[in-house]
Amino acid sequence: MIHFDHVTKVFKSNGAPLKAVDDVELKVEKGEIFGVIGFSGAGKSTLIRLANLLERPTEGRVLLNGQNIADLSQPELRKVRGKVGMIFQHFNLLEAKSVYHNVAFPLSIAGIPKKEIQKRVKEILEFVGLADKAKQYPDQLSGGQKQRVGIARALATSPEILLCDEATSALDPETTKSILDLLRRIRDEYNITILMITHEMHVIREICDRVAVMESGRVIEQGSIFEVFSNPDHQTTKNFVRTVMQDEIPESILRMIDKHDGRSHIYRVTFIRETAGEPILSRIAKGFDVEVNVLYGQITELQGVPFGNLIVEFRGDGAEILKAIHYLQTNVKIKEVTSHAG
Amino acid sequence: MQVDLLTFWPKILEATNETLVMVGISLLFATLIGLPLGVALVVTRPNGLLQNGALFKVLNAIVNFFRSIPFIILLVAILPITRFLVGTSIGTAAAVVPLVFFSGPYIARLVESSLLEVKPGVVEAAESMGATPWQIVFRVLIPEALSSLVLNITIATIGLVGASAMAGFVGGGGLGDLAIAYGYQRFETEVMIITVLLLVVLVQLVQTTGNLLSRKIRRH
Ligand SMILES: Nc1ncnc2c1ncn2[C@@H]1O[C@H](COP(=O)(O)OP(=O)(O)O)[C@@H](O)[C@H]1O
Ligand SMILES: [Mg+2]
Repeated sequence: MIHFDHVTKVFKSNGAPLKAVDDVELKVEKGEIFGVIGFSGAGKSTLIRLANLLERPTEGRVLLNGQNIADLSQPELRKVRGKVGMIFQHFNLLEAKSVYHNVAFPLSIAGIPKKEIQKRVKEILEFVGLADKAKQYPDQLSGGQKQRVGIARALATSPEILLCDEATSALDPETTKSILDLLRRIRDEYNITILMITHEMHVIREICDRVAVMESGRVIEQGSIFEVFSNPDHQTTKNFVRTVMQDEIPESILRMIDKHDGRSHIYRVTFIRETAGEPILSRIAKGFDVEVNVLYGQITELQGVPFGNLIVEFRGDGAEILKAIHYLQTNVKIKEVTSHAG
Repeated sequence: MQVDLLTFWPKILEATNETLVMVGISLLFATLIGLPLGVALVVTRPNGLLQNGALFKVLNAIVNFFRSIPFIILLVAILPITRFLVGTSIGTAAAVVPLVFFSGPYIARLVESSLLEVKPGVVEAAESMGATPWQIVFRVLIPEALSSLVLNITIATIGLVGASAMAGFVGGGGLGDLAIAYGYQRFETEVMIITVLLLVVLVQLVQTTGNLLSRKIRRH
């Protein structure tokens, strides 16, 4: 659907050239919600702007449905842009125009007849829940409503792809959630491919299927939400995961680990998918001569599937603990924790 | 010596009329020149919609050139052009030409600054929807900047009222001319006061109308 084929973007602004996007290789599949996360200045906006040629790649190609968009003529490119909607952090609505005319704008510049525009605008405003706001002006709307107008405008031309540049970053948590719900509905009902960039990990956790982590223009890690959240590789990724899932062992518990007497071992147990719902730990306690003590942990939900991360102390004979671990490994991921490893 | 104001009224009325005509016609032509020139400055500038460094530099230099000449000098300097364009270098029509040369580039600058107030993000949104550069100019930049454009044109109009007062030098007439001819040169203080008052009222009217209009079209 969207293929960033080793794309590099260099800006040559006053003096030193700046590699805002550095050899990025990414494939976004049809109908998926793909998130790109990174700190400010990582190159996320530049990346997403490459997807509709608001920026031209310095090297590499951006393919939409196999077509290198840099090869298109201007009229062809404008046509493709009609199939790629975009929404923005600060909405970028026409302030002088009513909600109706904002949503009608992309249809009107495409030369669609008035009658059809009326029908489509009505339909799409209903979909985003703003049917009663058609005659209002942007400055009379709340942030969430403005973003709904932005979404309606982006959807007006029935795009196949929706690009979201920090679409919820200017919104409060409650409104963010309602906008994310709307985006999910858009994907589910219209099977639109969504590429979204954000610096907020909870947004990624909330609706993305896959995620890529960007740093200094490069994609340093990518994978399914599950892979990345349950087993982050890169330190930056770990830091992002930590913003939504506490997996760091608190100081007080680390001190406890330090004092262990040889009969006690401490493990990090990562439950994923089905196993998070199973009483595995109590089975260990019953089936083996091992005492189980949960020191710390959290069970959360990723893509509608439970995900748990527990710090557990096993107390007992070394051999017996090994057997218990062996049994556990068939079900969950388990790793011994030392005070230094964290 | 006491003047009989009554005999002056027709003169004052005539002068007011001349001022209105001069300002009105100059404003019309100055806007016809300034608006496209301002748009051109915005679209050809670096990173503009149709960026063209060479053209931008030329336009920019032309505008700066005219903006740096004091009106009173411009008035005299372009007399040959005036004669060529309107067939005479004297009278109200002849005053219009320098006023247009004076005000057109000024309006271009004002238009430029109004259009640059439109958030780049809004332009980018339109681009992302597949708008052509001209659609962006006519359906995004100008409509979004309209309220600010009206305020700026109001400023230009008031500038024209001021400049038109010097039109007396080419026999253009108008209130300013009257004030100088009678009030200053013949010490008719009342005439001076009345003309100045009329100019004040005119400027107030223009500004108030501009403000109202600008507010009214903020949403359209
Ligand atoms: N048009 C531009 N000209 C020059 N530098 C730019 C331009 N756009 C972005 N940059 C630079 O590229 C880097 C990445 O920016 P951006 O893609 O906006 O990052 P992010 O969206 O992740 O915060 C930043 O250092 C930024 O200053
Ligand atoms: Mg950004």
